Amino acid sequence: MGEIRSHEDNNNTNNEDEDNNNNNHNHLSKKSRLLSFITQSQIKQEFAHHHTGVARINNGSFGSCPGSIIAAQKRWQLKFLQQPDDFFFNQLPAQILRSRTLIKDLINADDVSEVSIVDNATTAAAIVLQHVGWAFAEGRFNKGDAVVMLHCAFQAVKKSIEAYVTRAGGSVIVVHLPFPVNSVEEIVSEFRLGLAKGKLNGRKVRLAIIDHITSMPSVVIPVRELVKICREEGVNQVFVDAAHAVGSISVDVKDIGADFYVSNLHKWFFCPPSVAVLYCRKSSLSSDLHHPVVSHEYGNGLAIESAWIGTRDYSSQLLVPEVIDFVNRFEGGIHGIMQRNHDAVIEMAKMLAKSWGTILGSPPEMCPSMAMIGLPSCLGVLSDDDASNLRNHLRDQFRVEVPIHYQPLKDAEIGPRDEGCGFITGYARISHQVYNTIDDYIKFRDAVNQLVQDGFNCKMLVSRG
Amino acid sequence: MSSKDLSGNHHHHHSNDENGTTTTTITTVTQTNHNPPLHQNHLNLFNINIRAEFAHHDPTIARINNGSFGSCPNSIIEAQQRYQLRFLEQPDDFYYNHLKPSILRSRQAIKTLINANHVDEISIVDNATTGAAIVLQHVKWCFFENKFNPGDTAVMLHYAYGAVKKSVEAYVTRSGGKVIEVKMPYPVSSNDEIFEAFKKALELGKSGNRKVRLAVIDHITSMPSVVIPVKELVKMCRLEGVDCIFVDAAHAIGSIEVDVQDIGADFYTSNLHKWLFCPPSIAFLHCRNPELSNLHHPVVSHEYGNGIAIESSWIGTRDYSAQLVVPEALEFVNRFEGGIDGIRKWNHEKVVEMAEMLVKAWGTNLGTPLDMCASMAMVGLPACLGIKSDSDALKLRSHLRNCFKVEVPIYYRQPKDGEVDPVTGYARISHQIYNTDDDYYRLRDAICNLVSSGLTCKGFQD
Repeated sequence: MGEIRSHEDNNNTNNEDEDNNNNNHNHLSKKSRLLSFITQSQIKQEFAHHHTGVARINNGSFGSCPGSIIAAQKRWQLKFLQQPDDFFFNQLPAQILRSRTLIKDLINADDVSEVSIVDNATTAAAIVLQHVGWAFAEGRFNKGDAVVMLHCAFQAVKKSIEAYVTRAGGSVIVVHLPFPVNSVEEIVSEFRLGLAKGKLNGRKVRLAIIDHITSMPSVVIPVRELVKICREEGVNQVFVDAAHAVGSISVDVKDIGADFYVSNLHKWFFCPPSVAVLYCRKSSLSSDLHHPVVSHEYGNGLAIESAWIGTRDYSSQLLVPEVIDFVNRFEGGIHGIMQRNHDAVIEMAKMLAKSWGTILGSPPEMCPSMAMIGLPSCLGVLSDDDASNLRNHLRDQFRVEVPIHYQPLKDAEIGPRDEGCGFITGYARISHQVYNTIDDYIKFRDAVNQLVQDGFNCKMLVSRG
Repeated sequence: MSSKDLSGNHHHHHSNDENGTTTTTITTVTQTNHNPPLHQNHLNLFNINIRAEFAHHDPTIARINNGSFGSCPNSIIEAQQRYQLRFLEQPDDFYYNHLKPSILRSRQAIKTLINANHVDEISIVDNATTGAAIVLQHVKWCFFENKFNPGDTAVMLHYAYGAVKKSVEAYVTRSGGKVIEVKMPYPVSSNDEIFEAFKKALELGKSGNRKVRLAVIDHITSMPSVVIPVKELVKMCRLEGVDCIFVDAAHAIGSIEVDVQDIGADFYTSNLHKWLFCPPSIAFLHCRNPELSNLHHPVVSHEYGNGIAIESSWIGTRDYSAQLVVPEALEFVNRFEGGIDGIRKWNHEKVVEMAEMLVKAWGTNLGTPLDMCASMAMVGLPACLGIKSDSDALKLRSHLRNCFKVEVPIYYRQPKDGEVDPVTGYARISHQIYNTDDDYYRLRDAICNLVSSGLTCKGFQD
């Protein structure tokens, strides 16, 4: 099933009358009745600006953007430069609304007023947490009321909690999720336990922040179930940080049922840096959300506030229609892309695990378009510093770009072992996006094998300042 | 002073009589060719083709609103695109190895430009709107953490920028502060009127045993545009012991001299995309004492706690390229004789010249004396146009754009009781190096056209 491509693959798929067997009858699939899909060489052309010679298997951090979208972005940038007043008064608001409307359909929101466009998930977190901060300051929340977060929450989110919640007198409940993980049930039960423990002293839990796909280590979290647990445990509001979600897994915000949901579109949805969607379920509470950069639109609702936060380049927010055209050049549109990315990354992860004698960090069904693959224990990844030093070493010496995660053992005696029976404490987060070829992963495989063969250990590396 | 273009077709003479009154004589010979004259004598251009640098500007528009969105020459856009490409080529490498030093480079250039003491005092943010949010969020915390008392006051100009007023509402009023507006007359005839009004506001702010905790002072107000004597006003605030003195100088850098040590405010913010040829968007926030001030960027990243400058340099994945081309922008301005000072002086001379031409043609008045103008001037519009509200002003602006292809913002000024035939509308004209005299003749003729056809704002479409 996996369709991992190679450089030599010049498959030209021709489909006269595309069979619309798939049950996706929204407007996105109408375009799959193309006569021919994008070819491998066209894909290569679209990503010709990617540095050749680099095995780019870190799509998760900064995303990627095809040449035709960049060209479309330049056209919008030019419109502003040509006549900025006309652009501001006559074009910008309508174009942002157009993007928001398409995103609403993409994520299955009820109403376009629930969809705001912001720079990135980091900004969305600041918006939601500032709202929590005001509640503490204005006495709606009491000192000591709690906010729940995952132990592996993104560092920016952790800091945002410190800046807005802790500083305002709130407390934080940290829930640890297992890793490596063997099943969805493990996540659910650990979360339930962790939340209950955190509430033991009778604290009121005002907000839970749950990742849809954790960043490091990367795992797909069963958010729908966790949102239910939150509601059962009396948590006021739930914020799902789904930075990686749109374009790598199916997103149905109504089904998930959170109050707030954010996803970046420049990671997996081919938009240029940067753009994210912040969904806020319609309710009396959500009207109190504000963009922290206040403009004359203050008070007109978060979506309108976010659409103008002073003079800047909004062009990356205007390209959703062009991106939808782009993904529809692929067989199965975005769903086809997601499926093939997933299948390919699993295939490659298994290939690496076999070659290195290690394991996957989670079962395939808990991987999106990324997979955590154990590194041979002899490399000696024994700290966060080791992990970033190894990452730099792979970039500098082998031209492989891949983030490395350090996972401490829960218990000195128990843990995942590699074929050599050493404990696995280092994991690589590999990704697959449409521009990747099998050579990228072969290069990585061989680099690690080379390091093992050379008797390499992270102790040999010096930290960068 | 006179300027001759290549074809010698336009002669502008300024002559001063004994009283120091400047008269402008314009002798025009209509050109039959379509090439506007390149500015030669006053702006010595070393290898710059202004038309080529601004070739992307819509050639059919008389673009006399540089104040709103600024402008950016092609060579800077190209420099920016090179940075954008580097990120796209290998974003991890760009992030880990190139972004931080490039932002530092820009901050260092700005530090020198504005005569700051230390580069730590310089943060780069998106725009003055963001700079304001940072300062005002800090004030909010001061109220919540009981450094300020409920009811303590914030003083700002009545003509403060709309976004800043809203930001003050969102952060200061909402956290218990009381806002006092400085009511200045308009038209304004001297700095003394501003001092008077400001003094009154400070006194009101202290009355009833309150403390003035914040002063928000524009360096150049937006609408109506007036150059404010900030140094003196900052002094007045210091004497009063105002805790936070914040200068909103969105328009300043590139149109007026900026010396932050001399001005002496606690916080000072200005956009570089308005008058300093940077692409949208980039501004600096200067903080006199960054360690003491405890400012934070509202978008919190892993850099939280490392100082406002470092926090601002990473607020999540986005396109930082506009922030990286400050050295290139300074290189650009230094290709002109006198650098940015030469450009400023030239822009000022030209906008003054054109303002006087318009006032004469329309029989109206200026909104301020010419020494209270920088690169923009407020020119009164004929009263018969019937501008009676902000919405009339906007309608006229759209009408000028759509029917005459002239882009200029219009300000509505509420008349005082008893004024006969008041001038209630002002056009805020600007001059930047890409402008030609023709731009202003087109505005002149458009307004004369409207006057002679008896059209008023009542007749314009929404």
